[in-house]
Amino acid sequence: MEGRILDHPILNFTRKKRVKIFFEGNEIEAYEGETVAVALHAAGIKVLRYTPINGRSAGLFCAVGKCSSCLMEIDGMPNVRSCMTKVKAGMQIRRQHEKGDLV
Amino acid sequence: MKEYDAVVIGGGPAGMAAADVLGDHVKTLILDENDMLGGQLVKQTHKFFGDHVHYASTRGFEIANKFIDKIEKKPVDILTSSTVIGIYPQNTVAYVRNGHEDQVKYKKLIIATGAMERQLPFINSDLPGVYGAGAVQTLMNQYGIFPGKRFLIIGSGNIGLILAYQLAQTGVEVRAIVEALDKIGGYEVHANKAKRLGIPILLKHTIVKAIGDESVQGAIIAEVDDKFNVIAGTEKEIVVDTICISVGLMPITELTEQAKCKIAYIPELGGYVPVRDERMRTTNPDVFVAGDLSSIEEATTAMIEGKLAAMQIVEDVKKIDLEKEISNEIKTLAIFRSGPKSLKIRSGLEKMGIVTPRIEMPKFSPLPNSENGKLHAVIECTEEIPCNSCESACKFDAIKVGENINTPPVFDPLKCTGCAVCVTVCPGLAIFMEKSDESPNATLGIPYEFLPLPKSNEKMWGMDRDGNYVCDLTVKRVVKNPNKTYIVYVDLPKEFVDVVRHVTYPRKENPFVCRCEEITVDQIEKVIDSGITDFEEIKRITRVTMGPCGGKNCKMIILGIISKKTGIPISKLSHGTSRPPVKVVEFSAFLRGDKK
Repeated sequence: MEGRILDHPILNFTRKKRVKIFFEGNEIEAYEGETVAVALHAAGIKVLRYTPINGRSAGLFCAVGKCSSCLMEIDGMPNVRSCMTKVKAGMQIRRQHEKGDLV
Repeated sequence: MKEYDAVVIGGGPAGMAAADVLGDHVKTLILDENDMLGGQLVKQTHKFFGDHVHYASTRGFEIANKFIDKIEKKPVDILTSSTVIGIYPQNTVAYVRNGHEDQVKYKKLIIATGAMERQLPFINSDLPGVYGAGAVQTLMNQYGIFPGKRFLIIGSGNIGLILAYQLAQTGVEVRAIVEALDKIGGYEVHANKAKRLGIPILLKHTIVKAIGDESVQGAIIAEVDDKFNVIAGTEKEIVVDTICISVGLMPITELTEQAKCKIAYIPELGGYVPVRDERMRTTNPDVFVAGDLSSIEEATTAMIEGKLAAMQIVEDVKKIDLEKEISNEIKTLAIFRSGPKSLKIRSGLEKMGIVTPRIEMPKFSPLPNSENGKLHAVIECTEEIPCNSCESACKFDAIKVGENINTPPVFDPLKCTGCAVCVTVCPGLAIFMEKSDESPNATLGIPYEFLPLPKSNEKMWGMDRDGNYVCDLTVKRVVKNPNKTYIVYVDLPKEFVDVVRHVTYPRKENPFVCRCEEITVDQIEKVIDSGITDFEEIKRITRVTMGPCGGKNCKMIILGIISKKTGIPISKLSHGTSRPPVKVVEFSAFLRGDKK
């Protein structure tokens, strides 16, 4: 029981256009309108970064852009909230290590 | 710089209700960080409590859609995907949209930024797989993603209880809800919905530790004493991959602080909250607040507060007299807050100088439950919570709540026609249908929101209020309803009609015997029970021993099952015919002709 919910007693999930995004260089399934964190979770990827001081794995916590636990490197830009960033075709997503390189 | 009469920050229930009023009177802008309005309503799949005016019995995401439709028809500027980053002097709001900072000016401002979930520090609480309850709802209900397989929920407030039920609706397993207090925090009806699914609510328990290296693989829970200290020796390990924290919310006050509003620490209202008056005006006369930012409550009260703030702004800016409407809204709020579950809110507001007027809660004497052999409703709603959806739905005046919607409903079985509309509207799923006469079997109607939907004549299990098996029963019919709360009518032994409160498909965990063809002990026993005891025949019916191993794994076990069921010793049973090949070989091994 992983990935996307197909049948739900209350909700209908209509998925929009399929887009190609890449996590650590590998293509994963994603649909327009989804956030990066959602597409990664659907693919079973929960570890989104490693913390700057202790190098501990960290993932989603609030999923609504408040806690900053899900910061990732998206298209070369570090410290992007993956829970608030919608997927785009060709997006390159990487786990963030430490504080992320700005240059 | 653009200037508005009113700017609303936050498009949740409070902000939308405000924009809905403002849009009729003044030049209004609503800003929200998400790509659509709705706030937390968009992930709420349960029906809301309350009254008809405030969308009682409507599911959260549908309330959001209704508001969006209304606001979009009004001259309101809507800026979504716009993150407000600060409030500056001269009534200026700064926000970022499409990667660019921009600013607007306001005459009056409503801040309705809501709340965020409280953290709970325990060992490994930072591991991936530990989420705020709201995050799990976002993944599951907004985006249709399974957040995990096995869940532990920390905290038995309404959010934790609702989450447990919603998770079960997707078919995943909720292992437990733990609650440090000695009583359940949320509404009784929400707790009952989870309990009858067999989800245990462990009172006086807490989480000690999440287990896992890269992400959650389990949890250690333990009992706590009266001071919430873990009692040594009571630790228990449970296997879960997801831990949901629902230990309360706290208002997000940063923007009110920047707008020079006074902040006070009032734990009853959720922690630091902006000081405001009865009409939601803060200590800055141009700035109002509404919703969870002002006090952690329900979406319904958020909507009323949003309306109130908006009406006061219309009075301020347009000098229109709305005093009558305003005092009506204040009274509605007072009624909502008059129940025992709002005690904390009332005392918190008093600390701010806002006294909630006392609203009488008339006690109706319960009417005798007469069994007259007719189908009638049974209402199991005894707690004083703000809701009268059953009263509004009943066309036959059989349910009475009265002016104070916190009064538990009183039901008159003689007036009930058995239409069951109340069963489908009740947000607590606390109304059932019963019919019991002289015959040994009774009819029970159960609200049902799960898949697959049962069919007539199907055999199911009847479960009690704690989710324990009671009896086998037969589905008589299923009544569908546009709001997706269906009613499953079942036929069951009369003595269980007041005991069974949920139905489920028989879920016997059964060991597999034939691992090639995936046949369980149960399947083989059923064939034997039907009178077929010959090994060869069982083999042909079930395909046991016909997979690639040729029966090496399971033949003896199957003979054992037959022997046990029939009493015939294995030595006397026929054990079938063995045919080549006895091992897996490629077809090409048998090809003749071209020897290359």
